[in-house]
Amino acid sequence: MAGGSVSECKEYLFKVLVIGELGVGKTSIIKRYVHQLFSQHYRATIGVDFALKVINWDSKTLVRLQLWDIAGQERFGNMTRVYYKEAVGAFVVFDVTRGSTFEAVSKWKHDLDSKVKLANGSPIPSVLLANKCDQKKETTSNTSLMDNFCRETGFLGWFETSAKDNINVDEAARFLVENILANDKGLPYEETNGDRIKLHQETVAAESKSGCC
Amino acid sequence: MASEQLPSEFDVVILGTGLVESVVAAACSRVGQRVLHLDRRSYYAGKWASFTFNGLLSWIEEQSKITASEEHDWSSQLEDGEDLIGLTTGDVSQVTNLQVFNYTSEEEEQVPSLEEEAKEDEEEDEGGADQTPAGETQEEGAPSSESEVKEEINTPAQKSQPEKSKKRLTYAELLKEGRRFNIDLVSKLLYSRGALIDLLIKSNVSRYAEFKNVIRILTCRHGNIEQVPCSRSDVFSSKLLSVVEKRMLMRFLTSCLDRDTPLLYQDFAERPYLEFLQYQKLSENLQHFLIHSIAMTTPDTPTAAALAATQHFLKCLGRYGNTPFLFPLYGLGEIPQCFCRMCAVFGGIYCLRHSVHALVVDKCSSRCKAVIDSTGQRISCSHLVLEEGCFTQTAPPTRCVSRAVLITDGSVLPTEAEQQVSIVTIPSESPVRMVELCPSSMTCIPGTHLVHLTCQSVGSAFEDLSPVVNRMFRTPDSDHPEPRPEVLWCLYFNMPEGLESEGGELPPNVSVCLGPDGSLGHDGAIAQAELIFQKILPGEEFCPPGPAPEDILYQGEEPDASPAQPGEEPEASSSQPGEEPEASSSQPGEEPDTGTSNQGEEPEASSSHQGEAEASPTCKGEESETSPSQQGEEPDASSSPCTEDSDTCPNQLEDGTQG
Repeated sequence: MAGGSVSECKEYLFKVLVIGELGVGKTSIIKRYVHQLFSQHYRATIGVDFALKVINWDSKTLVRLQLWDIAGQERFGNMTRVYYKEAVGAFVVFDVTRGSTFEAVSKWKHDLDSKVKLANGSPIPSVLLANKCDQKKETTSNTSLMDNFCRETGFLGWFETSAKDNINVDEAARFLVENILANDKGLPYEETNGDRIKLHQETVAAESKSGCC
Repeated sequence: MASEQLPSEFDVVILGTGLVESVVAAACSRVGQRVLHLDRRSYYAGKWASFTFNGLLSWIEEQSKITASEEHDWSSQLEDGEDLIGLTTGDVSQVTNLQVFNYTSEEEEQVPSLEEEAKEDEEEDEGGADQTPAGETQEEGAPSSESEVKEEINTPAQKSQPEKSKKRLTYAELLKEGRRFNIDLVSKLLYSRGALIDLLIKSNVSRYAEFKNVIRILTCRHGNIEQVPCSRSDVFSSKLLSVVEKRMLMRFLTSCLDRDTPLLYQDFAERPYLEFLQYQKLSENLQHFLIHSIAMTTPDTPTAAALAATQHFLKCLGRYGNTPFLFPLYGLGEIPQCFCRMCAVFGGIYCLRHSVHALVVDKCSSRCKAVIDSTGQRISCSHLVLEEGCFTQTAPPTRCVSRAVLITDGSVLPTEAEQQVSIVTIPSESPVRMVELCPSSMTCIPGTHLVHLTCQSVGSAFEDLSPVVNRMFRTPDSDHPEPRPEVLWCLYFNMPEGLESEGGELPPNVSVCLGPDGSLGHDGAIAQAELIFQKILPGEEFCPPGPAPEDILYQGEEPDASPAQPGEEPEASSSQPGEEPEASSSQPGEEPDTGTSNQGEEPEASSSHQGEAEASPTCKGEESETSPSQQGEEPDASSSPCTEDSDTCPNQLEDGTQG
């Protein structure tokens, strides 16, 4: 998925999935992160495939992050392969005010790991987001419990986030991208994608040869 | 994950996720219809599916099980003046004559157990009877329980070629790497100017898929595999043709394209193509290429039809490469899923392992008012679209396709060059077409090729295709002096072609989608989908382009760096300060509605709005919106060496994926 480099700048395109139960704030997190916006109105995600965030990671690295929402209504967990394929990272989101959405986290993680893997066969890096922390009632933090849960379930880590108050969204993204980049450096690209064709790229050169004779 | 109940009202309910159903689903959802899309299976695409190796093994197992239709009484769900029409609830794939042969070695190949040896003998008997296969396994229509017997059969390293130092793939490795296979049940290619490619482009669904060009068109003649020259450069560089032949072929192909008025061949229109070619004084060499590889037909096909096929072939050359064909990365099963994703993105609801058990029909209008789903829920709908085979069938399928799927250890025509996807046409009574896929098509693992053979059924798939397999490849039953790729694993089965008109009289608002036909392209399926769509929504546009994601949302870099109409959009100012991740903490309390207007959507997801809402978020609006913010960002961005580069963002994005 990495793009070609221009001068000394290395450019990456990373597809990151954002999954979790209905109404946990997946779209809000994406909007907050990409557009710095938050909407109170609940709205199923319509007409939007993914949001693109461009990060000038450092002076030599440009990262284009495609954040793929689960198209709101693919909510029964039956995502197409189109959704999963070639993803290199994932956020699994739950709502701290609704315990049932946390219980579903393991299922989502399991589903994720069964559907997509890195080229070397290991699971894609994923980060757990405990969203809506601004609405959390109890103040006691169960950090060690969550740490354990992440270790057992295979998450790199977890963040308490609030798309509404803009808490930890950038930090979580930064953490995930760091891990994706680390993976990327460790793994040479397996296949050269040079001969892959995107349909809207019919070339003028090819066109001129049209008709063969 | 799947705990919620489905909403109880939709505009269109669609059962089955094959290509036709999925295109209809995307088209309806795209123009604002509320779509419920179900599949009784646990996977997408039905007969059009592609499987991992392990997934294919499960599928094979499923086919041998006879799933009994469950009986339910849903009459309690009926209101006055309503009738029920029950649907079959068992699986309806109707695949027959399924046979599996495994020629990989086990890990401990030195000591095959007694049991394995016994099995091996049994299999040798059967396979050895090549032309007249053991009757009991070949009965047409018999549910194939044979597959279990033959699976796991192991014929360790027999006839291993001394010149071959390559390590043989073991069955355990095949299973371990199984997820990297994408094995299609249907073998088709996309004509570069065919209806499917046009639809993918028009609808923007193409952004979900990438393709490989089919690089070579091969044919099998006198036991040799030869590359068919079809583009100008091929013709000139071909070593198979004499100078005179080259000239004749070029002249002939040129005249095919020019010929709008069929003057030259009118006497031949209904006569065999072969006669026409002979009359044109084309050599045998050329006749072979023109009949089998370019028109992909038979010598006795009427000339008019063969020339139409030839023209289609020629017109498709050069759009994406030197052959007319493309193959989707990750297999054909990807295509229906691309349309499903599109449908979901526009609000379609998806549920697998979920079915429709009965139709609720209004006695007066005889229209289908609602369906009863597999949980017994009544879901009202204005239109219902069903995959084929939902109604109990009495007549056996009239036409079948014979299929073979092979995992081999190399290409039938190895080259020095990079990996290639090839189509091979093999003339025979029922012409066989073979598509050979390489690992870079993301359908098989390095060191293997995935080969699909297809022909119209005369007998069982094994009867029809195993002679070709033995001729083209090395198997325990073949005997070749020259080296041939070895078959590691293979599967044979018959699949009925899409059947016209089933189930007799249907309510007027119910449509039935046919399964895949035996042709190479997809024009039939797309035409059918468009017809169904127009029946449901007369006058609506079929799959208008969806917005490109990079056009909808935005911030940061823009293709057009010119400072266009600063501050034109009210929301531009609100998104301005917070562009950079670093600056994120700014403005915690912006207006709630900016988020929605940003995407040009209505706040309520009401279905009637989705269609039009769509039209607005085009580049233009976004440009003016984002340009100011880019200016705001300038100081920061200019410090990075990537600035110029990011100016060309959307194109770069595509190029980036390209490599």
